[in-house]
Order: sequence, then C-alpha cells, then structure tokens
Amino acid sequence: MEDTTRMEELLKRPLYVYDLPQELLASLTAKTTGQPVAEEAAGPSAEELEQAAQDSAIATSNLCPLCNVSYSTVQDQRSHVRSDHHRYNVKSQLRGNAPLGELEFSKAVGELDESISGSESSETEEEDGDGAAETTLSALLKKQAKLSHPDEDSTANVAGVPKSPLLWFSSSGLPSSKSLGIYRAMFSAAEQEDPRHLVDTIRRKQLAPIKGRTNNASKAQDPAASGPHIFMCMIGGGHFAAMLVSLAPEIHRKQGGVEDRQARVIAHKSIHRYTTRRKQGGSQSASDASRGAAHSAGSSLRRYNEAMLEKEIRDTLTEWRDMIDSAELLFVRATGKTNRKILFDNYDGQVLKNKDPRIRGFPINTRRATQGELLRCFKELTRVKVSEVDEAALAAAENKRKEEEAKASTPAPKPQPQKPKLSKEEEAALLHTSQLQALIRRSKVPALMSYISNNSIPPSFVFTPTDSPQNFRCPTPLHLASNLNAPAVVTALLTKADADPGSLSSEGRTPFELAGDRATRDAFRVARHTLGESKWDWETAKVPAAVSKADADSRAEKERQAANEEESSRRQADLDRLKREEAEKSASARTTKSGGRTVGAVEKSIAEKREEETRGMTPEMRTRLERERRARAAEERFKKMQGK
Amino acid sequence: MAVRAQFENSNEVGVFSCLTNAYAIVAVGGSENFYSVFESELQDVIPICHATIAGTRIVGRLVVGNRKGLLVPTTTTDQELQHLRNTLPDSVKIQRIEERLSALGNVICCNDHVAIVHPDLERETEEIIADVLGVEVFRQTVADNVLTGSYMALSNSGGIVHPKTSIRDQDELSSLLQVPLVAGSVNRGSAVVGAGMVVNDWLAITGLDTTATELSVVESVFRLGEMAPGGAGAAGVNKDSIVESFY
Repeated sequence: MEDTTRMEELLKRPLYVYDLPQELLASLTAKTTGQPVAEEAAGPSAEELEQAAQDSAIATSNLCPLCNVSYSTVQDQRSHVRSDHHRYNVKSQLRGNAPLGELEFSKAVGELDESISGSESSETEEEDGDGAAETTLSALLKKQAKLSHPDEDSTANVAGVPKSPLLWFSSSGLPSSKSLGIYRAMFSAAEQEDPRHLVDTIRRKQLAPIKGRTNNASKAQDPAASGPHIFMCMIGGGHFAAMLVSLAPEIHRKQGGVEDRQARVIAHKSIHRYTTRRKQGGSQSASDASRGAAHSAGSSLRRYNEAMLEKEIRDTLTEWRDMIDSAELLFVRATGKTNRKILFDNYDGQVLKNKDPRIRGFPINTRRATQGELLRCFKELTRVKVSEVDEAALAAAENKRKEEEAKASTPAPKPQPQKPKLSKEEEAALLHTSQLQALIRRSKVPALMSYISNNSIPPSFVFTPTDSPQNFRCPTPLHLASNLNAPAVVTALLTKADADPGSLSSEGRTPFELAGDRATRDAFRVARHTLGESKWDWETAKVPAAVSKADADSRAEKERQAANEEESSRRQADLDRLKREEAEKSASARTTKSGGRTVGAVEKSIAEKREEETRGMTPEMRTRLERERRARAAEERFKKMQGK
Repeated sequence: MAVRAQFENSNEVGVFSCLTNAYAIVAVGGSENFYSVFESELQDVIPICHATIAGTRIVGRLVVGNRKGLLVPTTTTDQELQHLRNTLPDSVKIQRIEERLSALGNVICCNDHVAIVHPDLERETEEIIADVLGVEVFRQTVADNVLTGSYMALSNSGGIVHPKTSIRDQDELSSLLQVPLVAGSVNRGSAVVGAGMVVNDWLAITGLDTTATELSVVESVFRLGEMAPGGAGAAGVNKDSIVESFY
C-alpha cells in the first residue's frame, strides 16, 4: 500500500521518458485489454449458433445454398444472411475457398485469423479502421485462438484507433486506473512494430543524467554531443528554428543543493526573414507562381529574403551534418511546398532525405517556429503523460447504460474506492470556496490573487457544494465577480489568474452574461483585448468585440462629461423655471392685489413695512434690528460713493 | 411502361442516369435527347435533375438512391451536392459517403425496402445506407459477382439479375428480397443489367439496342404494362423517343 503511495508521489513531478525512476521502470507493462469483455461477448454467439442448429432440425422449407443452412421464415433467412457464418462463406467463396458448414465454421472460428467485415456488433461499440469489426467472432478468436500478434491487437484496442499518438503503459506499483502514456513518435518504426518489446526498449533507452557544465569546462569534451540526441526543426512563414537536443538530461545544482534537470541543447539556430505577404498571406513564391511575378518593392524584398532564408537554412543544416546524421530521431515541421523544398529538395550536399525513416512530424499542435516553441515541444514529447481512467466507474457507467437500454430501473452502483479521497478534497474545496467568495465580495484583488497563487488554485476551480443556490448561479470565481459587478476582480481573474470566461453556470450562462453594469462588461472586453483573440473562445463566452483600455477609459470619460453637462444644463433649466415661476407668482400676486379682495387697500410705504416687521418684537430686538439696518444703509452709501 | 433510349450513342443508360420513385438524375450531355426521353415520361411527376458527380457524367454508377434518400461518393464536389440538394425534393435525404469503393451505383443495388451490397463495403457505409435509404442491408453476390449494382436491376415490384444466375441463387435472392426475380439481359444480350437500364415502379428505360423480347421480359417482371395507364399504348411513346433521338 505504501509502495503505491510512493509511486503516486513519483507521478506528481514531471517524468522524463529517458530517465524514469527505477521502481517505476521495473514494474512497467504495456497495457492490454480486459479479457472479461471478450468472454462476455463470446457467450451469446455460441448460444445463437446452437439456436440456429435447432431451427435447422425443425424447418426444412428453405435452404441457404452457400452455407447449407435451412430456415423456415424470411426473418430467419434475413438473420442468417446477416450472420457471421454467411458473411464468411460469401467472402471465402469469392476467394475460391470452399464454404464451411455450420459446425465446421464454429470449429474453424477458433483457428481463424481472418476478420469478417461488417458483422453486427451492437454490444461492442469498438470499430477498427479497415472495416474489420470487433465482433462476437473476433472475440471468440481472441478467447480461443493463438493469434500471431495478440499484444498488437490489444494496444490497438486501448488506443481506440489503431494509430493513437500515445502508447499506454501501466505499472503494477500504481492503481489500475492510472496509465502512463508515451508519444509513439519517440519510438523508431522498428520499435513500434513490436509492441511486446516496448517496455524493454524503454528500459534499454534509459540514460544517466550528465553533470551541468561549468563555465571553465572545455567544449571539446562535451559528453552530450556524442551521446544520443534528436534533431528538431520547424519552418513556417519566414521563421525557421532548429535544435539539436541531447536526450540525456542535464543536472544543475541550484542553491541549497536542489537538483534540477534540464534539457541539454547541443546546438540551436533560429532565423527570421520577411517572406510572407502582409495582409495577403502566403509566400511570395506561391504568389509569383499563381499570378505571375509582381514588380513591387515589397515583392522583390520578399523574393530576396526567401532565397536568403533557404541559403541560411541549408548552411545551418550542412554545418550540423554530422550531428544530424547521428541523431536518433528527426522531428520536422515544414508544411507547404516551398517549406518542404527548402529541406528536401535535391541540392548539392543535401542533408535531410525525404524518405529517411527517422523523420517524423510533431504529434502535437505547434506554434510559430521559435526557440522556445522547440523547447516546449521537446518537453512535451519526452514527458510521460499520466492519465487516470477509473475503470470501475467506466464499467459502472457501461452497466448503467445497458440497464437503461433494457428498461431496468435499478441504478448502477457508484464506484467505492474513490470516496475517502474525494471527501478530503472536498474539505479543501469548501475552505477555498468560502475564502474566495469572501475576498471577491469585498473586492480584495491583491489578497485574492495571493490566495489563489499561494494555494495553487487551478483556473478551473469550481465552488463547492455545487448544488447550493448561490453556486448554482455563480459556479466559478469569475461568475461571482461578474455577478457582483466587480470590474477590478474580473480583470484580475481574467488576466492574472487565467480564469476561463467561457465556463458555463448550471443555467448555461457565461460570466459575461451575469455582468450587471457597463464597467464590468468593459472589463471583459478589455481583457479580450489584452489577452488576445486566440487565448479563449470569446465568441462562445459571449464577450463582444475587444476594446483597448485607453478606448474604454476615454469612452467612460466622455460619458462622464456628457453626464455632467446634462446635469448642469438640467440644473440651469430648473433654476430658470424656478425664476420664471417666481416671477409669474409675484406678477399674479400683483394682479390679484390690484383687482380682488384687497380692493381699497393702499400700497404700503416702506416705513409702514418696517413697522410691520418690527411689530411684536421686544424693544431691545427692535433697536438691534434698527441698528443693523442703518449699518447696511451706510455700507450701501459708501459703496456707491466709491463706485463713483 | 418500358422505353428505349440512348445516351450519345451509348446503350448503357444506367451509367448516365439514376431513376427512383421520387426523382431522376440525368447526366449533363452534349444534347438534350436523352434528357427529353426522361422529360417526356416523368415531367410533372417527379423532378428530373441534370447533374454531374465529381465532374463526370457517369452519375448512374457513382450514386445510388431510392425514394427516401440519395448517397453520393466522397468525390462529389460541394457545388454538385448543393445543386442536388436544391433540385431534389426536401424529403430526400442526401449524404456523401466516405467509402473506398466509391462507385456506389456499382456496389449497391436497392429498392425502397432492401439493399444488396458488395461484401467488402465498410460497416459505417452499411449503417449509413440503412439510415439514409431506410433499407435492410444484405451483403450478397449476384451470380458470384460482387458488383451487385451492376448486375442487378431492382424495383419494389421485381428485379432482373445477371443472365447466368443459377435458379438456386435466384430463389435465395428472391426470398431474401421478397420480390419476383428473373435472370435476363438487356441491350441485345448485355449481362450488365444494372448499368444497362434504369427502373422505378412505373417506368423502365433501357438501351436503344434492347430487343423486343428483352423489353417484354422487363415489362413483365417489373409489372410495368399493367401499372401504366393504357399499357397497350406504350409502343407509340417508344416510337416518339426513337424518332427524337434520330434528329
């Protein structure tokens, strides 16, 4: 048990194909298919044959002249015609072989290694590339017969399609659900041929790591240059990158005695020349070939650059000739006629031959031909992939599906072994959920970022429990931030934490759709601008066209100004209205005074008004008021005198 | 009704046309004589489509179809597919098949209910045939020939097989297909009955060289005389089309 845990510990750091840990290597086995499936499938077919035999005893009305099988009804005949037996006989007759009787056939099935095309296989969904079906028959074959290459068959089955880019291995030290994948391209054609010796091949290929070079070591005694190495190159769009990499890993001692393995690059070269036609696309030579040579300055520039690129690439290859000739594998990416011509065309001192069995393409997506890209490809190719497939769960799912098909109501049992591990993970996830939600709610961007990086929370983190009403609407941090209209958090999550804007909530909403105000929506659009179109599928994330930060800001500023202007004009209008109303009111008051209830009332003089104001005041207050009034009048007078 | 016709001096009308109960496909020829034979019989009954498949005129050998669907080989261009889609009724499903044996008309022989196919056809193809054409698919040979579509002409009411098919095989096929079959020839003794004629439930078109005896066998096994309105008047129509093709 503890062995298993130690092995799992090993898988936590990246594994290098040519330097696998000893214990893992010892327990490695190429993966084979599960035998029970084949046996299960074999059962009904035998029964069917027996059934047919019984039928033949009763009915004599009609006869298949080929198979010598009799049947009574059309249905029987049709099912017979679709049977493996009949199909086999049709094919063998075409080849001039004698057709087999029923018993002979069922006997021969054991020895057969010919597959019968297009037999029915409703219970096994697998398909082989060349039309030979995985049938009850071939299941029988597998069970009873000595096939010439049983392992080959089974690897093909594991891969699903015969030519999967990865070859899968299992280890006795690992749980059965874990399998290790190594790129097929890393093996030579001969090694791929014989899947039984794959593990031996891997063991044989292991390399001892070499010590990192110190600065004063002489180049001549470089051990990497003589050891096994591979050559990689990419050409495309005027970019060229090539690299010779030693397969033996290099060990660097970092401070504190930590050993760090690195790829050891023996030689590398990258060239860029301007050869592609801007905005039009395609190379200049292709354009010349299709519509005649253009005479623009740009075209002659590109033509010259193409020629120079070709020369430089060929010079580089010639320089590396010895190393390339001794390389184990040659990885080449050169799509298009012109690019292939540079490498493989017949020229003096040609280095790469088109027919070289060592040449292979990159079985992964590659980007622009650069040094970094080559290094990334090397790491990717030489890394052991770890895949976890819970076979118990798969089998359970399969059972469930079958049961549903059979209209049975008993649900499939859940796989047990995963449970304790899940609960532990769940606890951590719950903690993270509460922390993250609190931080997002309070818009604590720096704290949120440091929390995410410290706990190495993956961008795909989903809040748990997923069924709570809030997490139902906002399953991811990005959803939550967007829903809370926190543009700063949205920006940080998108640009720094790598959150996926295309993730869907249970309602099928993307984060963008939850955004409630313009600022948050702009945060998404600005992120689209900064991250670039290719980073995410922005269309499915429903994020509209990108805007730059400056644009968004200037627009916001413009809007603010417009709003201010509107506000001030409104205020002005209101003030005007008030003034007007007041004027009207006073006017109306005058009119009412002049004609109405106050008939006969004389207009009061200013002195009378004053008297009215002071009425009901204490004498002290009255004197104070009077004093103030005089002071004001004096001031007025002074002002007038100064004004003049 | 059975009619004789010729496609640019060739008797193999099944090569240059495809006839079903819901539509007909006719190769684009130098003249409209061949097309007008179809037109005179089928106008206002079913749509007739002028088409090429992969730029060739051997449409009858490359496509296969029935009332419910049409299968075209992978070499069919998008334009051709679009043209077929625009011309044929919407109820007809059209599907392009990725199959190594790309002359579908040669390897598949079908009516609206069953299909007899080449034994080496891929299983995916078999499934597509069953889905698109709505038929039961059987892998069989006709007189030990794998090219079932070439050596067999089939409608819902009958069928003609290679003249050298044994009685036993005929009986077996007939009981499998549940239609009467007869071993016969067309075009003055040609054994490729599938390529030498086209047939649906009420019309058969054979090559111009077809003898009267062959034509009468065709009419009787496909039950064309009794189905056609005024079956006796068929001769007049034949004459018309013959005269047309002389000009």
